[in-house]
Amino acid sequence: MTETSPLGTGQGLVYELTSSPRLFHDLTPRESRLLDGALTFHALTRPDENLRVTVLRTENAHFPALTDQRTERIEWADDRTVVGSVTARHRAAGDQSRITDLVVDLGGPPAKLVGRTTPPGRLFAARDRVRSEVPVAFDALRQLRTDRLENRRMARPIPRVGSLHERAPRANRELPKAVLFGMHWLELGGAEKWANQTVELAKAAGLLPIILTDQTSAHPDIVRDVFDGALVIPLTHPLSNVQESRLLARLFSEFDIHGIHVHHCVWLYQRLPWIRTHFPWVEMVDSLHIIEWRTGGFVDVALRMSNVMDAHHVISPQLRDYLIDRQGLKRDKVVLATLTDLTASRSGAAHHRVGSGPLTVAFVGRLTQQKRPYLFLRLAAQLRRELGDQVRFIMHGDGELAAETARQRARLGLDAVMTVRDSTVPVDRTWSEADVLVVSSDNEGVTLTSFEADAAGVLVVSADVGSQASVIADDLLVPRAPLQFLKTATGLIRRMVEDPAQRNTWARQQNQKMSDFAALPKAREWTRRLYEGWAS
Amino acid sequence: MSNVAAVIVTYNRADKLGKVIENVLAQDRPADQVVIVDNASTDDTARVLEQYEGRPSVEILRLTENTGGAGGFATGMARAHERGADFVWIMDDDCYPDSDALRELLDGLEAAETRMGLRLPFACSVVRWSNGDICEMNNPETTWDWGKLLVHGQQNVLVNACSFVSVMFPRWAITQFGLPLSEYFIWFDDQEYTRRVTAAGPGVQCLKSTVTHDLGANRGVNFADVNANNLWKFTYGVRNEASYRWHHEDPFAAARFAQRLFTGLRAGKVPMRLRLHLARKFVEGIRFDPQPRFPRTVL
Repeated sequence: MTETSPLGTGQGLVYELTSSPRLFHDLTPRESRLLDGALTFHALTRPDENLRVTVLRTENAHFPALTDQRTERIEWADDRTVVGSVTARHRAAGDQSRITDLVVDLGGPPAKLVGRTTPPGRLFAARDRVRSEVPVAFDALRQLRTDRLENRRMARPIPRVGSLHERAPRANRELPKAVLFGMHWLELGGAEKWANQTVELAKAAGLLPIILTDQTSAHPDIVRDVFDGALVIPLTHPLSNVQESRLLARLFSEFDIHGIHVHHCVWLYQRLPWIRTHFPWVEMVDSLHIIEWRTGGFVDVALRMSNVMDAHHVISPQLRDYLIDRQGLKRDKVVLATLTDLTASRSGAAHHRVGSGPLTVAFVGRLTQQKRPYLFLRLAAQLRRELGDQVRFIMHGDGELAAETARQRARLGLDAVMTVRDSTVPVDRTWSEADVLVVSSDNEGVTLTSFEADAAGVLVVSADVGSQASVIADDLLVPRAPLQFLKTATGLIRRMVEDPAQRNTWARQQNQKMSDFAALPKAREWTRRLYEGWAS
Repeated sequence: MSNVAAVIVTYNRADKLGKVIENVLAQDRPADQVVIVDNASTDDTARVLEQYEGRPSVEILRLTENTGGAGGFATGMARAHERGADFVWIMDDDCYPDSDALRELLDGLEAAETRMGLRLPFACSVVRWSNGDICEMNNPETTWDWGKLLVHGQQNVLVNACSFVSVMFPRWAITQFGLPLSEYFIWFDDQEYTRRVTAAGPGVQCLKSTVTHDLGANRGVNFADVNANNLWKFTYGVRNEASYRWHHEDPFAAARFAQRLFTGLRAGKVPMRLRLHLARKFVEGIRFDPQPRFPRTVL
């Protein structure tokens, strides 16, 4: 690390190093950017202090501690290694005698931080054991509970907080024009993919992206090119109360923030009423992807904060109807703009293949509870019993349930008939071989894999969740409840094997639905126009 | 601009259907989509509809069996909802809307909502008979404060219920309350549905929006008129209203309906055999309690 290779965007823009760093080990690019985020945060919240920062890391599975109250303690756990120390101060601070000591823990390697975490306690351990050993029975009970909560959520209005005060005109200031983003974390996911695109769009509009994340993570994607030139502050909690307001106030005083775009960041959502009170000219929007029937999720938080916000961008008609029709938001406050062009390109109706070999049935997605890979395995076992060599299977993906899924696959005797691929294999390879994609998720917005499958001429059989009805042929939507899912999906795939002409009919219906959906407004276009307005 | 779908449900009215469709297509604020539900007609309806095949804004749904007005409206409204309609304007196959009927519904609803400060679940037209009189069968039931908007200069009246002859529902009402009950088949489906959606607030009759209902005779529903030829319609009517009063109001409302039924039949000197038949239908209605189906969000 030298003068010519700064830690990240914050160096120079917010803080400066007051001496050459004393490092005993090299920092990885990811660690450099995490440290930059931590120093940016502390320089903003302690603008009059010289910061002497001890930098730690570990080889064990611990998340970083960058901004929380642990950074004020000068002792640490035995497994931490001291990487070195840096001294820094806010770039506008003068020579100060007062030194504040901080300890920034960069955490363990990202590879060790992937996996399912169960809350502590015997009850949760027992629950997790049941979930792992009898996943279908566990899921059946879970879906019953979801049904009950879904009905309750439909029936009850969400309370709203705050109100849209009179908007003050924005004064022109000689500061860098910026947009403040709230993000969940810097890891891979559909919502994150879209969030990253909006960061690109902000840069293209000439705005400085300032990114706050609120979830514990190793933030493996922080090194992506999209974050070059962006001010990234990965928050770790709990922050002290005074730091919360100071952080936001300093950001608004040092940058000309024209707008806020929240992507799945509860911390920022909950501070919007305060921001609305003190910085009333700022336009506030969010992007919403999925209704979480069990917990309410981000949609509930967004509804609670809706009175202080200017617009909600939603990616599916289901969400639009939920917000307007069910929750009573005004129609002009909800913007439907889809992500159809995020991964798949539609150049016209793809030709569905009907070959003479076995029917290849694929699962493509992360191996997580939400995607229910165990249901796909049960479906494969059932189809294998009924259809023998007329079907084969591909399972493409990895995730926290990978080990568990491998065990279940072996137990069901599927190892010989199922090709298993992790995310290092390009998904195009699976699309080129598959005839049918099965979406077994228990909840979705609209799956991007459905678009990819259709673009590759692959039929999609999907659980009727989220807005999947917008893109899947009516006959190929199957119930979410696991036993009905297995029964209906088995029947449909059996019919595909027995009646190739029916496959063509379904393919035409699927293509028509995809085309109609693709004709809806695009999120990129709406966001580009929004940011250009903010930049003007 | 809002996306409005017009839904026309037809069964064996080839002689009138063309005029209905032409009047809908000639609106000065045209509907963005027109959904025509053919309830398995056996007359020349197919020939009439042929002329509209392939028009980009017209979709024809041909059902394989007659599902009654209730089933037809449920199918058409579900389709319009699936196609992303913000408003669904529905009517029978003998309803001729005046050229500004739709625009006046949209303007009237917007003005009423602004004045009332809340969303209103439907807007209906004034329904005239062929000679210009009010059509007795389609006169809506007003609320106790029906003149609330009139006193502010609006040509809008607050109503509790109306018929399915030119009524427009906003999308949110269909999402929130579901579709008409197909099981009713015919009669009282409109009353049940409009009363169901008024849980969210009153409906509004827009006095400037007018349509003509081309009925043979201008007469409302009257149990004194029951005879062997029209018994089939009253059969549905009695079962459906008994079901509604019992399950959605209370047993006293059902008893009042029974009394009205009894009085009407007696006044009309309806033969005892027909009276007993309708009494059985009343009892059937107490056991009959269909639940609404909800449309699927697609676009």
